[in-house]
Amino acid sequence: MRTLHLKKARMALVALCCAAASASAFAAEYLLTVTRPNSLHIIDPAKREVVRSIAIPGDGVPGSIVVPKDGKIAYVLTNRMESVVGIELDSGKQVFRADFSSPERRIKGFFAVAVSEDGRELYVHQAPVVLGRSEYKVEDTYIAVFDTADGLKAKPRRTFPAPRRISLMAATGNPDHLIALGWDMYLFNTKSGKLEKTFPVRHWDRPGLGEPDVLAMWGTFEQARALSTPYYVAKTDVPPDSPEAFKAGIAVFDLDAETLKTVEFENAQTAIFSSVVNPAARNEAFLVMNQLSKVDTDTGKLLKRVELEQTFYAINISGDGKEIYLGGALDKIAIHDAETFAKKGEIMMPGGADQAIGWLRVVKR
Amino acid sequence: MKRLRALNHKAHLLEQAAHDGNREEVQLMSSVVGCTTTFDPGWEVDAFGGLASLCQPMEADLYGCTDPCWWPAQLADSMNTARDWTDGKNSALRDWRELQTLFPGD
Repeated sequence: MRTLHLKKARMALVALCCAAASASAFAAEYLLTVTRPNSLHIIDPAKREVVRSIAIPGDGVPGSIVVPKDGKIAYVLTNRMESVVGIELDSGKQVFRADFSSPERRIKGFFAVAVSEDGRELYVHQAPVVLGRSEYKVEDTYIAVFDTADGLKAKPRRTFPAPRRISLMAATGNPDHLIALGWDMYLFNTKSGKLEKTFPVRHWDRPGLGEPDVLAMWGTFEQARALSTPYYVAKTDVPPDSPEAFKAGIAVFDLDAETLKTVEFENAQTAIFSSVVNPAARNEAFLVMNQLSKVDTDTGKLLKRVELEQTFYAINISGDGKEIYLGGALDKIAIHDAETFAKKGEIMMPGGADQAIGWLRVVKR
Repeated sequence: MKRLRALNHKAHLLEQAAHDGNREEVQLMSSVVGCTTTFDPGWEVDAFGGLASLCQPMEADLYGCTDPCWWPAQLADSMNTARDWTDGKNSALRDWRELQTLFPGD
């Protein structure tokens, strides 16, 4: 779907180039999101408008978006989770492509894609299935490492084993490390492929608490360099019909310190899908689904909550911590004030195209 | 199995394997990352027995579930077996009426 008029595309390119030229003085922020059938959108949140829409080659539906520190190329998981495509944001060109599957072997990557901070390596958690004539054979999962310089027919340079159920990954402040969230959090050395440390999540041993239930499918950690996710957990030391019997919490992994913090902040009473940490006040996290909530992750207090006009799955935040961006559902990105929670604006996706739980990222240029 | 009778070679092999206790273990295909792990109802009532935590409006969840969230018990599996179910219907709000019922033979 080519949704952007040529003139508008040129304006967008000029805007991005200008922004890049002045990056050393002050970085402009752009939002990235994806919509059906296979489009990547560059959004200027200050102007409240989509500045460029790029048709990703091949089959959709796009989902995860990862971008290295320089913000030049967005890597998008698409083709029904069977390909990662690298799109150069200034030109809109496809500069990288890795197709995972073959006719005999279907390989999916379930959300978990990450890129090294220097942009040289791409990591994809892959789940292969051999397609026999009358049976499917499930093979072990692993993390495939791609060289982003390998162009449009990239194949993994190396792989290393990784547990199943990993749905989020991020490069940490250590250039050799990759954190992966599955049943637990796994810290891998990407050079050796060794699992260096496991942070227990499902297998934590916390008195009075059961196993947490985590649905972590949105990577929004670039602003505060903190990977966070809501979770739910049953309390085992109160009667099952107690209001305290089921708690909502948030897990925050500091990407630079490589530490994990978990805190419960309320009796579970509403569904929450994703969260983001405030880069201007790192003890604050914002969470979203049908409500927008703010939590103090030091004290475990719910600070504020408002009802939203619709469900939003993905959340992100401006670099100054003043605006909250909500997206990932239907054709709208809503902008709310981080202090008052008042709605400040909205940006509609071209053609009403659905974001279908697509990610919402911020790039600085 | 009492009411099933093996008729062809493969069925006999299956029957024999079951009898010998050496059937291969059936595993889930991959990770559990969707909105639900099994075949729970989910669009009728939320986890708290009410409606407030259901997706609002319903269309907000429609393509999320049929695509990456992959909830094939409730929706078409557009990741594998029904890839063209939503072709050309990119707005859930606008296009949901055009989505057709799928049958096992489709």
